[in-house]
Amino acid sequence: MAKLFPTQEIGSIAKPRWRTKGLTQPLTSKDLTEAEQWAERLGIEDYHDRAKELLSTPEGKDRVRELLEFSTIYGLRLFERSGLDNVGVGGEQQRVEMYEHVIRGVEGMRVLGHVQSFDYKYFNKAVAESKIRRKHPIYLEEFLDVKENAKSEIKVPITGPYTLVDWSFGGYYSGLKTGSSLKRQKQEAKREFLLDFVEQVIRPELRDLVDAGASWIQIDEPAITTHPEPADMELFVEAWNETVRGFSCKFSDHTCYPSEIGYKVLAQYAPKLDKCSQLALEFANRDSTSLGVDAEHREGYRDLEYFIQNGYEGEFGVGVVHVHDFSGHVPTGSGKAVDRNIIESPELVRDRLLYATKVVGDPGKIWANPDCGLRTRTWDVTYSKLDSVVKGAELARRTLS
Amino acid sequence: MKMPPTAQLGGIYPRSEQLVELTRSYDRGKTDRASLEERFEQDTRDLVRLQKESGFETFSDGAFEWQDQLRPVVESLEGVATGTRYSRWFDTNTFYKKPAITGKIAVSKFDPKQFLRAELLPKSKPWKVTLVGPYTFSELVENLHYEARSDLLSDIGHAEHLIIQRLKEAGVSHFQISEPCLVYRPHREEALTSKELDSALTALRRAVEGSNASFSVQTYFGDAAAVLPDLLRLPVETVGFDLFETDWSQLKIETEKKLALGIVDARESNVEAPKWIAETATRASKHIVSDSTVLVPNSDLKFVPRRVADAKARSLADATRLVKEEN
Repeated sequence: MAKLFPTQEIGSIAKPRWRTKGLTQPLTSKDLTEAEQWAERLGIEDYHDRAKELLSTPEGKDRVRELLEFSTIYGLRLFERSGLDNVGVGGEQQRVEMYEHVIRGVEGMRVLGHVQSFDYKYFNKAVAESKIRRKHPIYLEEFLDVKENAKSEIKVPITGPYTLVDWSFGGYYSGLKTGSSLKRQKQEAKREFLLDFVEQVIRPELRDLVDAGASWIQIDEPAITTHPEPADMELFVEAWNETVRGFSCKFSDHTCYPSEIGYKVLAQYAPKLDKCSQLALEFANRDSTSLGVDAEHREGYRDLEYFIQNGYEGEFGVGVVHVHDFSGHVPTGSGKAVDRNIIESPELVRDRLLYATKVVGDPGKIWANPDCGLRTRTWDVTYSKLDSVVKGAELARRTLS
Repeated sequence: MKMPPTAQLGGIYPRSEQLVELTRSYDRGKTDRASLEERFEQDTRDLVRLQKESGFETFSDGAFEWQDQLRPVVESLEGVATGTRYSRWFDTNTFYKKPAITGKIAVSKFDPKQFLRAELLPKSKPWKVTLVGPYTFSELVENLHYEARSDLLSDIGHAEHLIIQRLKEAGVSHFQISEPCLVYRPHREEALTSKELDSALTALRRAVEGSNASFSVQTYFGDAAAVLPDLLRLPVETVGFDLFETDWSQLKIETEKKLALGIVDARESNVEAPKWIAETATRASKHIVSDSTVLVPNSDLKFVPRRVADAKARSLADATRLVKEEN
């Protein structure tokens, strides 16, 4: 029987200072000390032979490439040391972030400037200025590094085409449309832009990854719950099915932070997603912090019911730890508050998994993961949270054994 | 007699790239508050200059310090906590802090500066502030206190009335009351009932009645066709809607109210040409007939980068001149 409640990472983690700074500037002794301390904690065996020289030498022909590879090794070891079963690509250390990293690899797209996300956080938004096509492989180099260095199972998270298009301005595609109502023009332009993104950028990328040995691709589509109207949901399904057509690897979807309606609409369309064998979803953010395995205590996980009611038969990657700032109350036994973080206890993780099992009905379909990438947390906090995910999954296994 | 159109901005205008960089640096503890304030002022001055040079008659300050469309209102109220949870702002990729209603709503003492940088606006021109209307506010908060929704709406309406009075004393003459939730409801499964619409309109009346100011009720992000006749009966000078979401080609309405046409798209970076704006306004005016039109963005321009917003603002103003010339 396969292991119950396997654990996985879900996205990016913070980039250490020596990685971000090191790409463009000489490192200080403080940066090097930090790198060395984490190398010791993570058992990075060739730190002294390779990394120290790399980090302390400000120049060198292959320095950037080696730094990226080395930060990937750190990310992989962090996940492996915490005990995760699937370590993804080591926390996406080689990517700027999920949007811009792709956009910069697409001919015809131009970054226009910053748009507010919330408060003093922004994202750099791009426009399609002409018909788009992939300039060069976007995730391949990172995947090859991961494949060479990982000691656990891996998967490749990529940003989905619907999200990339939704977060961009249509520009060229919008300008092509005339005649019908302004609303219809926008919808038609979005469809054309999206299907071009699938054909010209995402499918060539998948071909490269699969040919290089990728066996599991996680498609991140946070934008799909933004537009719950039938026209947009149908468009998303059309783009997804076209994206995965003809590939034989495992595909999963990751979607988080839906709008007010939650996952209800996604649940209606999930059974229509070809080859989508797992949905990794955010729940801990909306859950209470009290212990318990009943609906009253696990209010954040109720949307799981919709997927079952609608007949989705795949696995669920259940978000069991929160990934953003936390300022609420932490009851005894549920974990602890550390600065602006909650470190969930293994018992709280266990209860969340057991409740998800009750709703889904089959523990063999439940994976444990953070709600989303932990990139806004420090490595110390990230490690503690992942440790709880792993220990909580073990407690859940014991409860069911 | 048909009046020539005017142009107005409203709501939150995008921060400049310099301000974006400085706010990020401030967030990381690397810039002091004074430097940040200086740059907020500079962004405001730049927008005021743009409006002056383009020939705008009514001035907005850009609301550069507003973190989201609800925050200054929330911070002026008792019984409402700012909240800790970020929620998505409709179907955009931006978020707001979801307020929590924890007690009976009342207006606290507040500094009008929270809403408007009056000292940076031209003294001789009318000033405009944009507030989210009572119905939309009630839809976007987490209600932990009121049992009856009508009581919540009524108290928000009254609180906004008092805020408007206070801002009016501070020199504001134009208020845009934004009510996107009247036309955008994918986050609600059921359609807007007539009872709910009545409550929303009653709360809107409560907010605006008795204030000697110019009010515009604006909808965006959804098709306003179904609610326009009701909005046009409100005691407000202007009613506005989003031309990119409303199927206006099927409408046939005549009104004595001023119409605010949301005619540049705050969700798209293509800058509408003044000629296109003028022609589209003329076409729309055959379906919704009014003697007076205001050309406005279809929502806050914060969804496009600053230089795109500047170009769209100039296009709006240029379009008003084109229409005047053609008439």
